[in-house]
Amino acid sequence: METFFTTSDKIHQIIKSFHLTKTLFVSSVIIGDAHIGKKTLARYLFPDAIMVSGGNQHKVESLLEKDEEIIISDFEKLTNPQALDFTNKRIIATANYVTNPSVVDRLFAFIYTMPSLEERPEDITFLSKKFVKEAQSLLMLKDKHIDIDKIALNLTHNNQSLRQSIYTYLIKQNISIDDIIQMLFEYFYTHYDGKDNYRKHIQIFEKPLIEAGLKKYGSQLKLSHALGINRNTLRKKIHEHRIY
Amino acid sequence: MSTVSTKSQETIKLNFESFIEWDNNPFILFSNEGKIIYLNHAAEILFGYASKEDLYHIALTYAPQNFGHKMTQLTLTYDTFIFFAISVGYENEEQLSLRLYHMPPSKPKLVPKTDNMVMTDINILLEANIALFRTKNTNTLRLLADQDLPPFKIDQNHFSKLLRKALDSFRASDSIDITLKLLIGQHILIDAKKTAIVHLSIKANGRYNDADTLIESLATEAHIKCITTEYAIILEIPFIRNDE
Repeated sequence: METFFTTSDKIHQIIKSFHLTKTLFVSSVIIGDAHIGKKTLARYLFPDAIMVSGGNQHKVESLLEKDEEIIISDFEKLTNPQALDFTNKRIIATANYVTNPSVVDRLFAFIYTMPSLEERPEDITFLSKKFVKEAQSLLMLKDKHIDIDKIALNLTHNNQSLRQSIYTYLIKQNISIDDIIQMLFEYFYTHYDGKDNYRKHIQIFEKPLIEAGLKKYGSQLKLSHALGINRNTLRKKIHEHRIY
Repeated sequence: MSTVSTKSQETIKLNFESFIEWDNNPFILFSNEGKIIYLNHAAEILFGYASKEDLYHIALTYAPQNFGHKMTQLTLTYDTFIFFAISVGYENEEQLSLRLYHMPPSKPKLVPKTDNMVMTDINILLEANIALFRTKNTNTLRLLADQDLPPFKIDQNHFSKLLRKALDSFRASDSIDITLKLLIGQHILIDAKKTAIVHLSIKANGRYNDADTLIESLATEAHIKCITTEYAIILEIPFIRNDE
């Protein structure tokens, strides 16, 4: 059975309320940002219920005629929610936002607002660990030690962007020089265009080379020695690539 | 005791006290110091909700200027008791009487549709709604409920909506007291049948009344008597057990 992990008090109360009403014929809606686990929560609470997307009004209506327990995901996508009748049904809906508050208020007995991932710091830690483990297994990096604190976690799109930032970090960690050459090859192959390609593309190599050197050596003089090029040439290149 | 003169000028003594005692309207006789000399059965029940000082003050305020009796039309509400008029009288310096007249109950013309009603443990619905309330608010909430209340017929979705709205009006209240009990000895007539009443009261130091009209109409639709005051919402729910 799928489990749902959270340390958020608010979500614990939502789960409690759902557990209490599990056998009752009431309609509930979970409202919150995209990718915060609304569908996972609904699925965890009602593993046997039929799930249908609000993007298909016709299917929702036909299911309402014969089934008494339905999960309607993306409720905001329904074209005509007013037409639905939830009498004596167990309806669990999820919505990223509310388009018509009065309709939601009329249709649903229980209206829950689920907090975004940013409001649940402990959940971020848990999910990060989970995604790292998942990525390690998928990318065959099980033996590699990953320091989560070093990952720049992206929460702009909640779970989705969090997962993406972890996968990207892990892929980058495991990349070989051959991979880089291969990637550059693909890039140049598709981006050759017109004239002056040398000047256009050389920055892909030179910019990170100089930036990393500046960070490592701290001065242009030391870097010019390390690179084995003239100080003036280096200064010209810094100016050319707009490195500040 | 009363002295009655008959046509034959004979004087007989009659005791009217029991007629007053069992009158449905509360009757209280105060001394000139505000002490209670006599109160009938209905007044005894009323004192469960109103204070002696309060009622004495009302009697003094609405007393006639001279000896005699004066009827005043006004609306007085104590919990579920609503009075539409009072009469205050005195015939000597020692005794002051106060009689309160019950507002005639409005009889619901519609018979509740039991098709949508399912045997329900009201405590579950109440607790689920409290959990929902707690996802949004951190107010202190005390619940004193009769856990042994047997299941009865409720339109679960409709009643949950009513509860959500009612609790929501206490969203900014400091401390909320909820009591749920079966009223002893009180009945309402539904479809010419005596039906017991479940009493749900939500009280606090104050509340929002913006949704009162909606709360009242939701209650009326469900054949629930709803009393809204500045501090409380009281619901008297018909305790419908079967279709007989």
